[in-house]
Amino acid sequence: MIYYLLIPFAAIALVVFQNTLADLLFSGWLTLEVSLALVIYAGFRLDALKGAVSVFILGFVFDCVSGAPPGLFTLIYLLIFIFSFLLSMRFTAERPALIAVVGLACSLIESALVMTVYYFVLKFENLSDLLFAFLLQALLVSFLTVGVFYWMDRMERFFNGSKGQFPRRTTTGRISAKA
Amino acid sequence: MFFKNYRTVIFICAAVIAALLLLSYNLKNGSGTHGAKKLVLEAAASVQAFFNLPVDWTKNAWTRYIHLVGLEEDNRKLKQTVAELQARLIHYEEGCLEAQRLRELFSLEEERQYNFVAARVIGKEQGAFSRSLWINKGSAYGLQPGMPVIVSQGLIGRITDTSWHNAKVMLLIDQGSNVDALIQRTRAQGIVRGAGVRDCVMRYVSKTQDVREGDLVLTSGLSNIFPKGLLIGRVSSVERPNFGLFLQIQIVPLADFASLEEVMVVTGAAPQAWAGKKASE
Repeated sequence: MIYYLLIPFAAIALVVFQNTLADLLFSGWLTLEVSLALVIYAGFRLDALKGAVSVFILGFVFDCVSGAPPGLFTLIYLLIFIFSFLLSMRFTAERPALIAVVGLACSLIESALVMTVYYFVLKFENLSDLLFAFLLQALLVSFLTVGVFYWMDRMERFFNGSKGQFPRRTTTGRISAKA
Repeated sequence: MFFKNYRTVIFICAAVIAALLLLSYNLKNGSGTHGAKKLVLEAAASVQAFFNLPVDWTKNAWTRYIHLVGLEEDNRKLKQTVAELQARLIHYEEGCLEAQRLRELFSLEEERQYNFVAARVIGKEQGAFSRSLWINKGSAYGLQPGMPVIVSQGLIGRITDTSWHNAKVMLLIDQGSNVDALIQRTRAQGIVRGAGVRDCVMRYVSKTQDVREGDLVLTSGLSNIFPKGLLIGRVSSVERPNFGLFLQIQIVPLADFASLEEVMVVTGAAPQAWAGKKASE
């Protein structure tokens, strides 16, 4: 229960931190989306209920802080979470290259969804100028995802011993017996 | 049973539907600041302030460092500028003083209608018996031995030797210098001779003449060398010896020989000013 109580505060801290860092490093030109990497991590490592709640709250906080229409990133993060969750039933995210590819793909999906909403719903134009930034951001997210997986796995081992508490799904779609 | 088996799927679907509804509502009605968003923003502002502390501190420290580096650079440049300006100021002051001196010298040309050649003092000779100057003009400028040399205060000597671009000036206080002179007040005539450390003495003035301390002494113009009426000095003492025919008169030249920098050489004069010389030629 305490996990669900801490999630909003952790989400706020994370989003503000990544925005501050992105402002410092890229002057607002790029977003340092550690939150997206965590969403992917949640899709691969957390159980569906816990992951969905975390991602929903994270998305909502991101919406509020970033100034996007509330619900946009909540929805996108949920979709990416589901996508990652489905992928996790087919692949075990152990190899950095695979994690990076998943991160890249998820970031591109996110960018495509954002551009779609902004172009078709909010009638924004000249989004083509942002394509290069989105590509760079996707590359950045792919690296970040690898880092997030690495550090989260280490933290998991640090707090829970050698055996991780979070489930490792098998390629058959079932939860591993080791978990 | 159904709900228990598909609880996760149902929950995720509910979450997606909730997000869709939230998005649709906000897109339709505009994303105003509702209660949950207010809470998030309030909390985010506090966290932002917390994260900004080290960022601001680092930024300020960096800015101060850069500012200090800039100050050091500015200080160095300003010191250099002050030094340059001081040098320039000294140069200008020198120029100003030189201009004043030259103005006084050239005023003589207008007053007396002499022809002058201005020259700069380039050296001094202070021998046991001789007192002379070197100036930076010579025969190439028309200077010849015997020409009088003056400053604004009066006569200082005459040229004794010339090269093409330099000339030697024997000063009034040189013991070999003799100038025909007269006392301005009484017109008593005599010869002013250099006396070295004792400045000058005036010889051959009869005891019968009335000469007092403070009387001005001028050139008499009799020798065809010096124009008439040039100031030489002032009588500092007069003695009447018991023996002999003449007074012993001490003269203090009006010019300060220790601080001469520019002089004027009289190369020619109006006929009335230098009539004697013209007549002899």
